[in-house]
Amino acid sequence: MEEVKAYIESGILELYVLGQLTATECSEVEAMASKHAEVKAEITAIELAMEAYALENAIAPSAALQDKILAQFTETVAEPIVVPLYEVKNDVRIKTLRYALVACVALLVISVAALFSVYNQLKVANNQIVSLSSEKDKFASTVSKLQFDNAGMQNQIDMTETTEWATVKLAGVANSPKAKMLVYWNKKNKSILINHSAMDLPKTDKAHEYQLWALVDGKPVSLGVFGDNAKDAVQQMETIPRAQAFAVTIEPTGGSVNPTMEKMVVMGGVTI
Amino acid sequence: MALAKKISLSEEELVNALKRQDTIAIKALYDMYSGALLGVISRIVLHTEVAEDLLQETFVKIWNSAGGYDSSKGRLFTWMMNIARNLSIDKLRSKDFKNSNKNQDIENNVDFIDEQKKVSFNSDVLGLKDMVTLLKPEFKDVLDMVYFKGYTHVETAEELNLPLGTVKTRVRMAILELRKKFN
Repeated sequence: MEEVKAYIESGILELYVLGQLTATECSEVEAMASKHAEVKAEITAIELAMEAYALENAIAPSAALQDKILAQFTETVAEPIVVPLYEVKNDVRIKTLRYALVACVALLVISVAALFSVYNQLKVANNQIVSLSSEKDKFASTVSKLQFDNAGMQNQIDMTETTEWATVKLAGVANSPKAKMLVYWNKKNKSILINHSAMDLPKTDKAHEYQLWALVDGKPVSLGVFGDNAKDAVQQMETIPRAQAFAVTIEPTGGSVNPTMEKMVVMGGVTI
Repeated sequence: MALAKKISLSEEELVNALKRQDTIAIKALYDMYSGALLGVISRIVLHTEVAEDLLQETFVKIWNSAGGYDSSKGRLFTWMMNIARNLSIDKLRSKDFKNSNKNQDIENNVDFIDEQKKVSFNSDVLGLKDMVTLLKPEFKDVLDMVYFKGYTHVETAEELNLPLGTVKTRVRMAILELRKKFN
């Protein structure tokens, strides 16, 4: 302790605080200070005294100097410099692009308007096409009906003019008094034709069609079936060498083995 | 004196702010210590303009060397004070300063400083009279030469024609007097 006291009283700590020692001497003092708390306390006391002394002897700097010095620090630390990402000449490009954008938008608006107008016209045209095509269909069906009828007529004329074919008239029965049709029977080869344009039979539904029968010695023989909507006016049926009468019944589609007598619509005897 | 609010921080807060390079530290240091530092600088370098430049340099160096300050080795003010004094002595001894101001060598300029001292002390220093009456002249001369005027204690001994031991003793006695007054 004596040694520490002597060290303190030597005056070296004052010189240390006053910055009067060499680096080596400073290290010695610092080593002593970290080893002995009294030395450290003494140094602090000296420092506080010198600090107070300096404050007592202060000379206030001018306000201008304060501004000058502090400005230097705010300058160096604050105010990040704004560097433009693009060079100035790009402003012109951006302006041009902006005009281009406006032009594009205008073009788009015009295009949409034009498209809408064209769409409306197209709708009108479509409607016209639909009505025209339905009219055309109507004409076409009329034409085909006329051709059909014409073919039937021609056949009827041909049949009456020739001696080769015998015409058998089938008349309505009790169920269908107004029904009628014609059956042509070839005298030579015994083939049978029917003429759709020259028949008037009760309507059938989809599940039924007509069946032509020949009565041979009191027994019915099927000569085939035919429908309401034949493609050709004249249809060839099965050949029959001999028959006393012909009749038509309404049978389930595809025909029956035996005729349903209560569904008979027309019948006619052979006069030849 | 500026009307702006003065910033005052504790020693620890000041050191921390300074180390993380927060400008509030410089503002606070300036408010608290610029006068004390300028007092030291002005007594070494007698020209006001040069002294003010040196004060600025001192703050720049405090800012830039903040990382080198070690609080275990001494108080912040002691460290700043030594920066201010070293910069001032370097300036005083630099060739361009001597030439442009026709200064004399430090060894020979005591009369010059003494002469100038009256002017600067009379006008600017508050509490000087207390100091004068507080310290015995032989203590005050020695302390001021070492603390304020940038003399080494060796130079002081030579200048005052005193043994080195006596200078050391007087410095210690002067500081003890001050401690009695301030503590």
